[in-house]
Order: sequence, then structure tokens, then C-alpha cells
Amino acid sequence: MLENEEIKEPAIKPVKEIFLTFFKSYSAVTGLMILVGIAVMGFVGPLFYPTDPFDMVWMPFSPPGADGFLLGTDYLGRDILSQIINGARVSIAIGFSAALVSCFIGVGIGSFAGFYGGWVEETLMRLTEFFQVLPTLLFAMVIVALFGSSVLSITLAIGAVSWASVARITRSEFLRIKELDFVLASRASGSNNLALIFRVILPNAAAPIIVQSALLVGAAITFEAGLAFLGLSDPNVISWGQVIGSNRIYILDATYTVTIPGIAIFITVLAISLVGDGLNDALNPKLRSR
Amino acid sequence: MKKHFLKTLLLTATLIFTSLGVSFAEPKKGGTLIAAVGNNPRHLNPAVQSGIVTGFPGAQLFATPIRYDNNWEPQPYLAESWEISDGGKTVKLNLVKDAVFHDGVPIKSSDVKFSLETIKKHHPFKTMFAPVVSVETPDEHTAVLKLSSPHPALMLAMSSQLMAIIPEHVYGDGQDPKTHPQNSENVVGSGPFKLVEFKSGEHIILERFDDFFIDGRPYLDKMVLKIIRDPATRTIGLENGEIDFYAFENVPTNINRLKKNANLNVTPDGYAAIGPIDWLAFNTKSGKTADVNVRRAIAYAIDRNFILKAIMLGVADEARTGIHPGSPYYEPNVEAYDIDIDKANKILDDAGYKKGGDGMRFGLNVDFGWPGLRPNAEYTKAALKKIGIDVTVRQSADFPTWAQTVSNHNFDLTWDTVFNWGDPVIGVHRTYQTSNIKKGVIWSNTQQYSNPKVDAIMEKAGVENDMAKRKALYSELQKMLANDLPVYWTNTLPYHTIYSNKVGNPPMGIWATSSPMDMTYIKE
Repeated sequence: MLENEEIKEPAIKPVKEIFLTFFKSYSAVTGLMILVGIAVMGFVGPLFYPTDPFDMVWMPFSPPGADGFLLGTDYLGRDILSQIINGARVSIAIGFSAALVSCFIGVGIGSFAGFYGGWVEETLMRLTEFFQVLPTLLFAMVIVALFGSSVLSITLAIGAVSWASVARITRSEFLRIKELDFVLASRASGSNNLALIFRVILPNAAAPIIVQSALLVGAAITFEAGLAFLGLSDPNVISWGQVIGSNRIYILDATYTVTIPGIAIFITVLAISLVGDGLNDALNPKLRSR
Repeated sequence: MKKHFLKTLLLTATLIFTSLGVSFAEPKKGGTLIAAVGNNPRHLNPAVQSGIVTGFPGAQLFATPIRYDNNWEPQPYLAESWEISDGGKTVKLNLVKDAVFHDGVPIKSSDVKFSLETIKKHHPFKTMFAPVVSVETPDEHTAVLKLSSPHPALMLAMSSQLMAIIPEHVYGDGQDPKTHPQNSENVVGSGPFKLVEFKSGEHIILERFDDFFIDGRPYLDKMVLKIIRDPATRTIGLENGEIDFYAFENVPTNINRLKKNANLNVTPDGYAAIGPIDWLAFNTKSGKTADVNVRRAIAYAIDRNFILKAIMLGVADEARTGIHPGSPYYEPNVEAYDIDIDKANKILDDAGYKKGGDGMRFGLNVDFGWPGLRPNAEYTKAALKKIGIDVTVRQSADFPTWAQTVSNHNFDLTWDTVFNWGDPVIGVHRTYQTSNIKKGVIWSNTQQYSNPKVDAIMEKAGVENDMAKRKALYSELQKMLANDLPVYWTNTLPYHTIYSNKVGNPPMGIWATSSPMDMTYIKE
């Protein structure tokens, strides 16, 4: 195994260089800072702003700034600022977990397809194509409708419909890498297939998968908001999507109740794509010299 | 002869009114009314299908023995007169002589007998004609209903969409009337309009029936009912004049938005008999809500005013009991459970439900019957937190899932909208009768509420022909129910009719569009 470990590294840039490239990009750093800020707000914020997001604290539909409520109150007189702070935690959690689920399924399917080829590839890639052409929103709605709208079912539904892109990228990376010399050397020195897939090829295919997964986090957050807009959200948990969903019918009378969580989602998703771009620049050897 | 007489009468009346200088809008003949329907009817035969969606085209296609005016007074329709005798156990209907079905076959008393028997057998509202033992047909224009007991609900049950007179020579062919092909195609009706085309999910086109038994009616030449499920599409259609008429609008924001439009009229009138009420139902048999103290505490913690102002945006009315406030039997002087958080907390403290370390006493689930009630469910969560009840809002995947959960009694609290359907015997008794605790049947007594005294009063009120005595009985019933609180009633569902300025005489009676629109016309 020692020999393998020494020769499986070539495609990966040294960690230090990755960091340097990433932090050289202003946009990536800005994105990361926003993201960290939002995460801190979600996890530490409630300690400093303890209003319960479910409590009816004031008159319904107080516009932002009025009566001491920075972002106003919703249709039940609940504090929107508190909903944004507490919703950040759930929205980000849903985003990351759903992306993780996608990543897990996508990498699994893509790597086996790419590595084994033949009928395995045929079957798995037809399945991937099936999921790719499936109307994702409708399919996710069906899953949520079947299993009830809890955070878990929503997360799994989003994960289950978004993995096709990861699978395709993983497969194409595997197709390229599995023919490279260090893989052949590793195979010659007796590594079994699973070791080749997960210990030799996958680490070298990681860069584009990581970038794609980062983008999926943003997509999952918007996806959750989309489901909530259609009324498929967990009424017992405050997420940004849930705030949009429950105030949706008042969109013409109190636009801010929907636009404020919308802006929060916009900023977060923007930050995530900035980070994703930064990661792409930093991890992709072809872009190294830029 | 008769036609001539009516014409003379009409002419005389017109002359008198004009000579007196009374001016009122003269209904104009002709024209097409473009209306919207909010859902797709399963079919168009109200004799075997309940619901307001079938009711709208159904009441145009089929006539009923009587109809109601705006003041809950029965008026002649297919029956030009009626006699009640034998202490209410015999009801004689004298049918209009020259009435014909849309295929030209005369409407006979045997059709009335056939229709009633079909409805009794196949319509979901079993209490409507339960006491009717037989229908006798001494001659072609007389039908005599024999009842086992007095049944004051009968009059309302013979109106609107509830007793459609259907042709025996069409529906008596041995096929199951519930799935009869002529429920949707080539419908042979008895009402003011005949069917041109029913395209499922798209539209229903109705045309004036020239041989309708009321001379000169209907005024309209044509009615086009567009089936539009999306509220936003309907709202925009009304705003830009593509739709002239829509009944049963219940989204508060839409109602308020349309009220601002100068070309449109928006009115809550016309729904008193349909009587839709929003309420919070309790499981009175199992769980914490089996304790009446818990139910009362919850009622005190839920602010009816908040629901009316914040959720309903001021377009709905308060409903303190299970009888619609527009009904003559409504009793407003009951325990109303006006918001009182301290009292609610005290009731729970006294009943031994101590607050835990987190300030919570116990948890309950709240379900809701349709998406329009989700705000109520979310509000319940927030409101009951104040008295230490931790509420979980359960969102059902779809209507059948919710109906299954509630009808199998697997719930603590559920928000629901239930209709009165005219007489309390038809739409009110079912919610509280011990005999109507039917597992698996939605809108039965799913609360599993049982009080022998309440059962006895309903039984008495159901056969009481004297209006004043009947009112007194229902008043007592409402007080007892408010005390036992199997259901906490909050407000009417704010049904509104929206019609453009060019529509004259829209249906403003007690049955909204579940009544014939033979008097509606288009102003030019």
C-alpha cells in the first residue's frame, strides 16, 4: 500500500497552494465571509435576540422599522427578524444535508458507472438520464406529499432529485482517470476494485465534485423555498422557505413578508456560488495560472 | 290560456308601475353570461351528487319543486302550490301543468316520485328525506308525500340543488344513476337551461330552454361556465372583464383586491342556507381533549377576533355556534369564550395540568382540512403556546389523507369548514348526534361527542313544525353545545359573489348559485 500512497497524489495540488489561490480571489473570500456570517447569525444569533420565531409578539403586518420591529411582523404578528435569524439555521442545514445526500448518491452511481463500464455503466447512466429528464420539482412534490412535509422528507426529496449532475461529472472524471498510469500501477500492485475506486481514483476526481456539490447547496436552499412557496413546508420548523410559504397569500398586501426571506435566500445563494467559483479556480489545475 | 293570462298580468303590472312612476331596471332578454367555476364537477346530476360545484350547473339544468326567496320563504317553482296536512305527515305538491323536460316529454308526478326515490337511495344526505315513506301519484300533476313523522326540513330539502326532478324515462333505464352516462352528456333536465356541452376540466355551456315552464324566462340566452381552478387566474379574469360572474370566492386577499375594482360588485349575500362555518373540532373521546376543561381553556386562548381581523382580513363574520349566523335558528347568546389567557391558564392549573420546566403542560396535534385553513393551524400553535400547550401542526399530504386521519378518530384538534345545507337536520345534526359516530365517514360526528340530552333535543327539533317552538329548541341546543364544546366555532367562511356591473339580478337568495338563475340578465 505504501507504494500506492506515494503515487496516487499527482493530480492534486498541494493544500497550501489551493488555499493561496482561493484567498487571492476577492469574490470567493467575500462569499465565504457572508456565508460564515449567516451561519454565525443562525447558530449564535438566537442567544442575542431571544424572541421565539413562533411567538405572536405584536400586531400583524407591522411594516419593517415600525414599532421597534426591524423587519416588521408577519400575518400572525410574529417577528420576522427572529424568523430570519432562526430560519438561517434550518435553511443552511437543509441546503448542506440535501447536497450531501445528492453527493452521496451521485458519487456512488457515477463512480461505479465510470469504473466498471459495460452493462453496469449502461444501466446506471440510463437511470441517471431518467432522473435528469424528470421534472425535479414535480417529483420532489410527490415525495414530500407521500411522506408528509417534515424537514427530513424535504431534505431527502431534494437530495433524491438533484444527484444526476454529480453522477455525470463523477463518471466522466472516472473515465479519464482510470486509464492513467498511476491507476494502472496501483492495480498492478494488487489493489482490489473498491480500493481503486475510493482510495485511488476518487480523491483525484474530487475537485469538480466538490465544486458541483457547493453549487448544489445553493440550489437546495432555493429548492426548499420553492417547495415552501407551493405550501410544502414543515409548519413546525422555521426556515426561510417556510416564512415565504406561510406569508405567500399576503404577497400583494404585505410584500415585505415575502421579499425579506427572499433577499436572505438570494444573499446566501450568491455567497455559495461565489465560494463555489473560488473553489473551482483553486482546485482546477487547468485554471492554475489564471 | 295560462300563458295568455300571465302575459296580460305582466302587461298590467308594467302599466301600473310605470303610471305610478316607479322605476326599476327592466330585465333585458338575451345575452351570454360568462361565469367561472372553481373546480371540475364530477358530473352534472345533483340528484346523486352533493356539492356546490355540481350545484351551479345542476340547479340550472334541473328544476326543484320549490324555491326560496331572500327571506327564507318558500316560493312556487315546479310545484305551483302545496298543502301540508295530517300534522305535517302529508305533503301534497300540485305541479305546474305545462312543464316539460328538455326532450319535450311532460313532467309528471311519477317523475317526482322517481326523483325522490333516487335521491333517497343515492344522495349522500340521508336525513333529507329519511321520514318520507312513500310518494303517491293520484294524478299526473299531483304528488303526495307520506311521512312517518313531521319533518320541517322537508321544505328546504325540496329546493335548491337538493331535489332535482330528473326524467324517469331517461334515468329509470336500470343503469346505476351515480354513473349514468347522461349525467354528463345529453343531459335531459327540467330547469331553465339545457346543456350544450360539458368538457371536463374546461367548460360547461348552457343554452336557454325555450319551453321552460315559466314564461319569458330565463332572460339569458346562454351561460358559459369556465372551469378555472387557479384563484389568481380567476381574479385576473374578473379584473380584465373576461369573466362576468364568480361565486364562492373565499380568499380574503382576493376579495379585498376585487372590492377596489369599480367595474365589479363584491357581496357576501346569498350564502345563508349553504352556511359554511370554520371551526376547530376536538377529539372528545381520547387524549387530553376528552377533558372539557382542556377544550374550554383552548377556546379561551384562541382569539376569534384575531382570526376575523388578521386571518380573514375583515371579510368574514363571527360564528358563535354550529348554526350559520344567517339562519333563522342562529342563537348568538351563548358562551362565546372571548379571549382570556389568564382564565385559560387558571382552568388548566385547576384541572391539574401543571406546567413543566419549559413552561409547557402537554402537547397536542392540530390538523387542518384544506390549505385555506393552514393559517388557522399556525395561529393555533402560536396561541396555545401562551397557555403551555405545545402544538404540532400536522400537514396532511392531501384531502383523503386528512379525511382518513380524522374520520378514524386519530386526531386531537382539527380545523375544518362544514356546511349547514339549509336546515339544521341536513347539515347540523350530523356533527353532534351519538348515532352519527361513524368510523371512516368524514363529516360525521368525528368528535365522537355524545350527550343524550343533546340527542333528545335534536330529535324533538327535527319533527317540530311550529317555527317558534323549533327556534326555542335550537336555541337550547346551541347553548348546550357551547357548554360541552365538542367544537369551537369561530367564523363563517367568507364566501363572496363577484359580478361585473353589466350583470343584473345575480342570485342573491339563500342558496347562491345552487339556485336557478332564470332571473339573471345582462344589461347592455
